[in-house]
Amino acid sequence: MRRSSNRKSSSTSATATAGSTKAASKEFEKIDQLFNVYADKSSAIIDPEGIEQLCSSLEVDYTDVRILMLAWKMKAQKQGFFTLEEWRTGLKALRADSMSKLKKALPELVKEVSRPTDFLDFYSYAFRYCLTEDKQKCIDIESACQLLSLVLGTQFGPQVDKFTEYLKSQSEYKVINMDQWMGFYRFCNEIPFPSLENYDSDLAWPLILDNFVEWFRENQK
Amino acid sequence: MNSQRRKNFKIEAFKHKVELDPKYAERTWKVLEHAIHEIYNNNASRLSFEELYRSAYNMVLHKYGDKLYTGLVATMTGHLNKIAKSIESAQGGLFLEKLNQKWADHNKALQMIRDILMYMDRSYVPTSHKTPVHELGLNLWRDHIIHSSKIQARLQDTLLDLIQRERTGDVINRGLMRNITKMLMDLGSSVYQDDFEKPFLDVSASFYSGESQQFIECCDCGSYLKKAERRLNEEMERVSHYLDAKTEVKITSVVEREMIANHMQRLVHMDNSGLVNMLIDDKYDDLSRMYSLFKRVPEGLSTIRDVMTSYLRERGRVLVTDTERLKDPVEFVQCLLNEKDKHDKIISAAFNNDKTFQNALNSSFEYFINLNNRSPEFISLYLDDKLRKGLKGASEEDVEVVLDKVMMLFRYLQEKDVFEKYYKQHLAKRLLSGKTVSDDPERSMIVKLKTECGYQFTSKLEGMFTDMKTSQDTMLDFYAKQSAELGDGPTLAVQILTTGSWPTQPTAACNLPPEILTVCEKFRTYYLGTHSGRRLTWQTNMGTADIKATFGKGQKHELNVSTYQMCVLMLFNSADGLTYKEIEQATEIPAVDLKRCLQSLACVKGKNVLRKEPMSKDISEEDAFYFNDKFTSKFVKVKIGTVVAQKESEPEKQETRQRVEEDRKPQIEAAIVRIMKSRRVLDHNSIVAEVTKQLQSRFLPNPVVIKKRIESLIEREFLERDKADRKLYRYLA
Repeated sequence: MRRSSNRKSSSTSATATAGSTKAASKEFEKIDQLFNVYADKSSAIIDPEGIEQLCSSLEVDYTDVRILMLAWKMKAQKQGFFTLEEWRTGLKALRADSMSKLKKALPELVKEVSRPTDFLDFYSYAFRYCLTEDKQKCIDIESACQLLSLVLGTQFGPQVDKFTEYLKSQSEYKVINMDQWMGFYRFCNEIPFPSLENYDSDLAWPLILDNFVEWFRENQK
Repeated sequence: MNSQRRKNFKIEAFKHKVELDPKYAERTWKVLEHAIHEIYNNNASRLSFEELYRSAYNMVLHKYGDKLYTGLVATMTGHLNKIAKSIESAQGGLFLEKLNQKWADHNKALQMIRDILMYMDRSYVPTSHKTPVHELGLNLWRDHIIHSSKIQARLQDTLLDLIQRERTGDVINRGLMRNITKMLMDLGSSVYQDDFEKPFLDVSASFYSGESQQFIECCDCGSYLKKAERRLNEEMERVSHYLDAKTEVKITSVVEREMIANHMQRLVHMDNSGLVNMLIDDKYDDLSRMYSLFKRVPEGLSTIRDVMTSYLRERGRVLVTDTERLKDPVEFVQCLLNEKDKHDKIISAAFNNDKTFQNALNSSFEYFINLNNRSPEFISLYLDDKLRKGLKGASEEDVEVVLDKVMMLFRYLQEKDVFEKYYKQHLAKRLLSGKTVSDDPERSMIVKLKTECGYQFTSKLEGMFTDMKTSQDTMLDFYAKQSAELGDGPTLAVQILTTGSWPTQPTAACNLPPEILTVCEKFRTYYLGTHSGRRLTWQTNMGTADIKATFGKGQKHELNVSTYQMCVLMLFNSADGLTYKEIEQATEIPAVDLKRCLQSLACVKGKNVLRKEPMSKDISEEDAFYFNDKFTSKFVKVKIGTVVAQKESEPEKQETRQRVEEDRKPQIEAAIVRIMKSRRVLDHNSIVAEVTKQLQSRFLPNPVVIKKRIESLIEREFLERDKADRKLYRYLA
């Protein structure tokens, strides 16, 4: 659905927004209909059960990274739930208003996410998405490892494997915070693996990575 | 005819040339030539100076200067050749004497000749750019005598041979030598240098090279240095007596190079007599000699300094890791102080108080003192010992000296905060047990620490002293006001400690005997009455008590015990024997402390006011205790308390270290925040460097710990990483 109002000047956009609720409801009609297929009737939100159903319709596993990507596209706030607004945002951006279109949009979405700037955003979103409690700032090691595999597994397999092995074997850190999460991505991009030749612990790498490199080098011997 | 016409009277110069009859010139020259001969033949007295001068004058005036000059050259040359032959024919030792004599003669002659020919010197010579007479005389002497083939080499060999003989012990004619060398100097410094000085230096170099090689094979370091010094002095003396002054620095540098510089390493490292041995044996003279000799050569002093430094570091390292010595902390520190004293003395007596050496000493001490991480604790224990009893009877100055020396060691510590923790603990024990010798040394120590580390370091320590004083005043007031009510109860002396200033102790439960409880409660009421809003907690693990006890045969003793011990002993007023469990139940003292307490009451010879069954050394929970009727002691007052500061046990040490580490975290964080607040944006290494600098007066922070603190601050959103350059941190206001 092309929105021609994007190109109109500001004076006319006022009229466009005034009439948007009417046009919007029309525009979102099919999207909303699709929403209602999966949403819980009483809460009017897609809950985990609904997501599971959505996944089977899409023919992807519910642990598949593509669902996470979808959530990112929707800018979903709460893990396991999609609100109507979020649904609208996501599907509109994907230009999908039916299940078949949505299915087709997934490969495009994957490609989009892989673009470096988008991937960075997606990567940090993935972390925040797992912060389920209010004021929670860290993810436990177990979940972090799973998330790393999911999100970086294809791109940086060897590093992810080694790092998760390290995380599970050490006992000093029980959780991972955002700074460490982002640091690891930077690490994968900047440091050649497995040589780790230009890694310098005097620079501002998070301490957990210093320890990882030390552990890795010890184990090489 | 006109008489007015005057005759012009002009005086004109001769218009015609007065030609000197060439024969006249020849005749005049002959007169002069004859005069020169006479002068050289020592027959000058018969000559008339005036006539000769006039003759020369006329010759020059009449433009016969050329003839005069060339004639002079020829005549003089002729004489010099004859002189050369006579010198050459001189035998052995007479050679130099002949040369010297002829030289003197020549100079005299030259003087006279110059005087006679002075007009020529002044008018003809400059205009025709010829060499003046005196200089001419010297040059001719040089060319025909000194550089004559038969004389030149012989002269050099003779001179050098004489010097060699003098070096090997013979006596030579120094006056003659001086004359000869002066002659060479007079002939021109290049003559002196080429004909004498350079070969002299070369020969000396090989002489000293050989001699030094010989010495070093057979001498120990001290003797070698003595010999080198002697040779050096000898050469300087030689120069002053018969060589040109400018030769001094050249010959001394030859000696320095051959005897010292070339053998420096070997000397310094010589077995059994090298630098290290000298240091160990306090050989001030040898060291002083080495210092002044080595100072003359490049890298000399730095060689000594480097060897001394590595020796000190190694020695220090051995000292601080010697497990035997570490068993006695006081002895350990005394040992360090002695080492410092010894080397201070060496530096002042032998090394001229050289600042670079002092610095080397300081850096060595700083290096090895910190190799042992118990050094702060031990230094505090040393002070504790001194302040308890070691300084009794010492004068005020002596006290200051000891404390200042300990402060020197303190300055070397990297972990001053660890020292502070121990010092506080030990001070607390000293104050509370009344075991400090006198207040003045204690106060003096605090002042020194404050000067060194600032007010914050000592504010709590000072608080402790204040508490003691205030407590005294409080007690006086208490007894003044409450004496009527207290009657015959036990006398209480309370020390009220402000919680923040004193080392934290966990409070344990303890059942006080009823007599004590009453008076304690009275005090509590009194105190809280005058100080509202405060909370008092009895520290039963820190108190002492004096008890009067009567034993079997009626002997009375006064026992000085800890509070715990007092609680235990009072139980025996109502029972002759009690089991461990009964005691534990009655007093509620924690097991570890109770065992220690019972051990000191029952298992220590001379202090066993209780008898234990069975009579084993350790306390077990099945034991039973009885009042020891048979207790005897030659002292009326018996001290049984165990409140002396001791070296910590391993678990205690771990605990203290942990507490120190915990205390450091907020200090590091505060430093980071301070730095980032002022700099706003900074890279990682700079933060680490700045933090280290800020905290260096207290301890040396671990870079890993700093990084951890930074990350913690990032998590708590005090800092963030810069989005563009991930190596930078940014302060979040």
